[in-house]
Amino acid sequence: MNVSPLFFRRPLGCLKTTSLRQAARQQKVFRRTLATAATEQQQPASFSDHNFYRITDKKTKKIRTAFAIYEPLAAPEVTPSTPLKALPLKPPHHDPMPALQAAQIARMDPTGARTALFAKTRGAARVGDVLMVTHRRGGEPFAGVCLSIRRAGIDTAILLRNHMAKVGVEMWYKIYNKNVAGIEIVKRRAKRARRARLTYMRKPKHDMGSVDSIVFAWRKTRKVLTTRGGGGNKGAAQKGAAAKKK
Amino acid sequence: MPQEACMPFIPDWESCGKASRRPSNLSTPAKMIQLKTMLNCIDNSGAAIVECVMVVGQKRHASIGDRIVCVVQKQRSANAEGMASSSAANKVKRGDIRHAVVVRTRQKVTRRDGSCVRFDDNACVLINKAGDPVGSRINGIVGQELRKKKWSKILSMAPMQA
Repeated sequence: MNVSPLFFRRPLGCLKTTSLRQAARQQKVFRRTLATAATEQQQPASFSDHNFYRITDKKTKKIRTAFAIYEPLAAPEVTPSTPLKALPLKPPHHDPMPALQAAQIARMDPTGARTALFAKTRGAARVGDVLMVTHRRGGEPFAGVCLSIRRAGIDTAILLRNHMAKVGVEMWYKIYNKNVAGIEIVKRRAKRARRARLTYMRKPKHDMGSVDSIVFAWRKTRKVLTTRGGGGNKGAAQKGAAAKKK
Repeated sequence: MPQEACMPFIPDWESCGKASRRPSNLSTPAKMIQLKTMLNCIDNSGAAIVECVMVVGQKRHASIGDRIVCVVQKQRSANAEGMASSSAANKVKRGDIRHAVVVRTRQKVTRRDGSCVRFDDNACVLINKAGDPVGSRINGIVGQELRKKKWSKILSMAPMQA
C-alpha cells in the first residue's frame, strides 16, 4: 500500500491543479502590469502557495523543489526582479490564408484565365449561362446551366445542371482542378439572373431540360468560324470567351 | 412520348399499391438508399419500381455501386417505353425479392478530384446472386462510380455514364 505522506508523493492529478493555479496566477500578474505599473514587487516565480515542496537552498538562496517545474508555455515573460514595464502593443495579426490561397491559385492557374472566367466582371461567366466543362481524362465534355458559383478561393466551384437520357444530372466542378481541361461559355443568359443560386431551376416549371441542342448549335457555329478563319480557333475563342488553357 | 416518360424520377406511388406506406413528409425521393426507399429500376427485367429492404454489407446507406436487396413493387407493362423486346420483358414479378445495384442517387457523390455528381432520382439495376444483370439492356444514365466498384458489366450495358 502507498502510505507515504503527501510531502513525498503527490498524486498525478495534482500536477493539473498546480499548472492551472499557475496559469491563473500568471494572468493575475499580467493584469497587474496593466493597472498598477511597477509599484509593487513581484513575488518570486510562480510556484504554488503550498510550502510543502518548496525548499530554499541555503547557499544559493534559490528555490529548489521536489518536482520538475517546467517553463510556462507561451505565456508572457515576466521577470520578477526587474520592475514591470508596460508591454508594447503587438502589431496587428496578419491572416496568412489570403496569401496562401493566392499562391495556390497562381500555381494552379498561372495564366489567370480561370480566375478571370469566374471573376465578378462583365465578360465573366455568370449564373444562368450554359457552360461546358472538358476533362483532361477524356470522355464526353459535360455541358449544363450554371446554377451557382461557389467562390471560395482555391476551392471555387461551379454547379452545372443538364438532362441526360431524361434524367436530371448535376455536377460540381472545381474550377482550379487540373483535371478540368477547359471551361467554355456556350450561351449567355439573355437577362441577368436576379438570384445568386438558381436552385429553382430544379423544379419542373423552370427546368431548362437538356442543353444538348444549344451545345450542338454552338459547336456548329464554332466549326464554321474556325474553317473560315483558316486554321486555329481564334474565332471560337472570341465567340465563347473560351478558357481553354492547359 | 407519354407524360410519364418525361419525368421518370417521380414514381407512381398511388398505383403501385403502397400509397399508405409512403412517408407523408416525403415530397421528393429519398436521398440515401436505405430500408423502404423506393427506386426506379432502369433495366428490361420487367420491374419498374422496387423497394429497398436491405443494404448488403455493413453500410448505413447504399450509394452508387452498392448492392441492395429489394422487392419488386411495380411491374413494367409489356410495351413500356424503350423496352421493345417483349420476350425479355417481365422476368420478374411483383413481390419478387431480388438483388440490385444502385446506379443513380439523389444524394451527391463526391469523386476523388473534388467534383460531385447528383441525379434527380434513385435508380437501380436488378442482378442475380452471382452479380450478373437480370435484364439485357439498360436505358438511362448510370454513375461512373460503378467502374470503381467493379460493375463493368452494367457499365458496358448502359448507354451513357456521368
